[in-house]
Amino acid sequence: MAGLTLRSVRKNYGDVPVIKGVDLDIAHGEFVVFVGPSGCGKSTLLRMIAGLEDITSGEVSIGTRVVNDVEPRDRGVAMVFQSYALYPHMSVYDNVGFGLKLAGTPKAVRDANIRDAAKVLQMEHLLDRRPAQLSGGQRQRVAIGRAIVREPDVFLFDEPLSNLDAALRGDMRMELARLHNDLGATMIYVTHDQVEAMTLADKIVVLDGGVVQQVGSPLELYNNPANLFVAGFIGSPKMNLLSVESQTGGAVVSAALAAPLALRHDLPESARMTLGLRPHDLKVAEDGPLKGHVRLIERLGNETILRVSLTDATEITAVLPGQDALANGQPIAFDFEPSSALLFDEHGSRLNTAP
Amino acid sequence: MKTATPNTLVARGLIIVLMIVTLLPFLSMLSAALAPQGTYPNGLQWPADPQWGNFARAFEVARMDQLLLSSSLIVLGVVPISVLIATMAGYGLAKLTTNKYKWLYLVFVFGLTLPFEAVITPLYYEVRALGLLNTRFAIILPLIGLYMPFSVYWMRAHFLNVPHDLTEAAQLDGATRWKEFWLVQVPLARPAIMSLTILLFLWTWNQFLLPVVLVQDPMQRTMAGALGAFQGQWGTDIPLLCAGSLLILAPTVALFLVFQRQFVAALMQGAVKG
Repeated sequence: MAGLTLRSVRKNYGDVPVIKGVDLDIAHGEFVVFVGPSGCGKSTLLRMIAGLEDITSGEVSIGTRVVNDVEPRDRGVAMVFQSYALYPHMSVYDNVGFGLKLAGTPKAVRDANIRDAAKVLQMEHLLDRRPAQLSGGQRQRVAIGRAIVREPDVFLFDEPLSNLDAALRGDMRMELARLHNDLGATMIYVTHDQVEAMTLADKIVVLDGGVVQQVGSPLELYNNPANLFVAGFIGSPKMNLLSVESQTGGAVVSAALAAPLALRHDLPESARMTLGLRPHDLKVAEDGPLKGHVRLIERLGNETILRVSLTDATEITAVLPGQDALANGQPIAFDFEPSSALLFDEHGSRLNTAP
Repeated sequence: MKTATPNTLVARGLIIVLMIVTLLPFLSMLSAALAPQGTYPNGLQWPADPQWGNFARAFEVARMDQLLLSSSLIVLGVVPISVLIATMAGYGLAKLTTNKYKWLYLVFVFGLTLPFEAVITPLYYEVRALGLLNTRFAIILPLIGLYMPFSVYWMRAHFLNVPHDLTEAAQLDGATRWKEFWLVQVPLARPAIMSLTILLFLWTWNQFLLPVVLVQDPMQRTMAGALGAFQGQWGTDIPLLCAGSLLILAPTVALFLVFQRQFVAALMQGAVKG
C-alpha cells in the first residue's frame, strides 16, 4: 500500500500538449477522482500512472519509487477498464486468477484468493461462467475482482460505470465506496460524471485542457470553486452565471438584474465580472432582484426545477423545494443570500471572499 | 408458417439446377469408374455390371497408401509451420509495430499480387541449387514461403480486431508480451487459426503445379500431383483413371464432411475481411 506523487508531469502527442504540467500528491488510502469534460486529459493522466502511456517529462512516483521507466506489470497497480477488458476465452475464475497465475502463486493460495475476492463482490455463483454469459453489472464485478485479487498498491478505475444503466450505476457506486472502506487502498477514479465524483471522492481533481483547475474535497469544490470552470462543472443543476459590472460603492449592475445589488464594498470600480448563483440558493420573493417569466418546469416530486427567462432574456435555473403549483409563462422573482453569491473576475478567477 | 412465394420457388429451383451441374461431372466419373476394364464409357451411363473392383485395382496400381503418406507428410511439413509463423507475424504487424514500420506489411501485401506460375521457373533453379530437387522439401519450403503473404494478411486482419484493452489488461496483470501472445491472443485467435489451417490444408493437398515441376518421383509428390503421373501411365484405361481420381478426392471430401462448419466459417470470414 502506498501513496502517489506527480511532479510537473507532461504529455505531448507529437507537438500537441495533452497534459500541461500536473503536480499532485495522493496520500495512502485516499479515494481520488479525476473529473473533467471529454478530452481534458483525465484518462491520459490515469494511463500515465498505469504505465500504458509514456511520460514526456516530469516524474511519477508510487510510494517512494519513481516509476517513469517501470513496466506496467511492475508498478503494483491494477486497473479496471471502461470496457471491462475481460478475457473472453476464460471463465470468471480464470479471469480473476490470471494475474496470480502469471505471478506463479501456488494453486491453493490462488484458489483461496479468488474465492475471497468472489465473496467480497458477491459473485461466487458466477465463477464457472464465461464473460459472454454475464450482464454488464456482473462483468464489472469480475473486472473489479481481477483488480482486488492481486492486492495492488494503487487501484485505477477508468470510467468503470459509464457502460451501466442509471439504476445499476447507483448500486455499483455504493459498492465501490464500501470496497474502498473495506480495503483501505489508494484508489484513483476517472469519470466525467460530477455526481460520481462528489459521492465517491475524498479528494476531487478537476481537469480541463490538460491543466489541474482545482484540487479539494467535494464540499470545498462546491462551496469555494477557484474559478468559473470549476464553478460551472461541480454541482447539479449547473451554477447560474451572469455577466455584471461593478459600480462605485461595491454594488453590481446588469441588464439581467432589476436593481443594483450591493454585494461587497471592496470591489474595483466599473470592472466586468461574473456573478455565480447556485440554483438551490434562489428563493422566490416578490421584490427580489431577479425578475422574469417561467419558461420550463421539471417536477421531480421532492423538488421542482425551473428554467426562468430574465428581463434581458438571460436564462437561469432555480430549484425550489417540494411541489409548487406554477404555470409556464407566469411572472416570478427570486432573491438570495448575498453570502451565497460568488464573484469571478474577467479572467474567470474567483474574487477572494469579503473580509 | 410461411408459405413459399413464387420467388423462393424459383430460387430453390435454381439452386437445385446448380447443384446438379456441380455434381454431374463427379457422377459421370463414378459411372465411368464402374465400367468394365477396357471399355470406353459414354457419358452418364450406369453400367449393367458395376465393377467395384476397379477402386481396389486403382488403389493398388497407383500405390495409394504411399501417396496418402506422401501427401500427409507434405501437409504436415507445410501447414503447422506456416500457421505458426503467420500467427506470430500477424500479431507483430498488428500490435507491435508503430506507423514507422507500416511498409513491412505492404511488402507482404505485395506478395499477394504474385501468381505462383510467375515464380515457378526461378523457383526450379533455386531448388536445384539447394540440391532439394526430387525431395519433398522441394514442395514444402517453397509452399511455406508462397503462403506467407496471404497467411500473414489473414492473421493480421484478425489481430487488428482484438480490442487493445485486452493487451493492456494482460500487461497490467503481469504478462510479458510473449505470455500475452500465448495465453490471451492465441486462444482468442482460434477461429482465425482454424480457418487458415483448413485453407492451407486444402491448397497444399490440391497442389499440382509445384510437385509436377519440382519432383520427378510420383511417390514424393502430393496426391494431386501424383495424379499427373498416373494419368500418363494409365491414360488409356478410362475406368481405372476415374476410379483413381475419385480415390484421390476422397480424403478432402471426408475432411470436409467432418469440418463442414469450420469450412463454411472460413469462407464467410474471407467474405467479410477479404
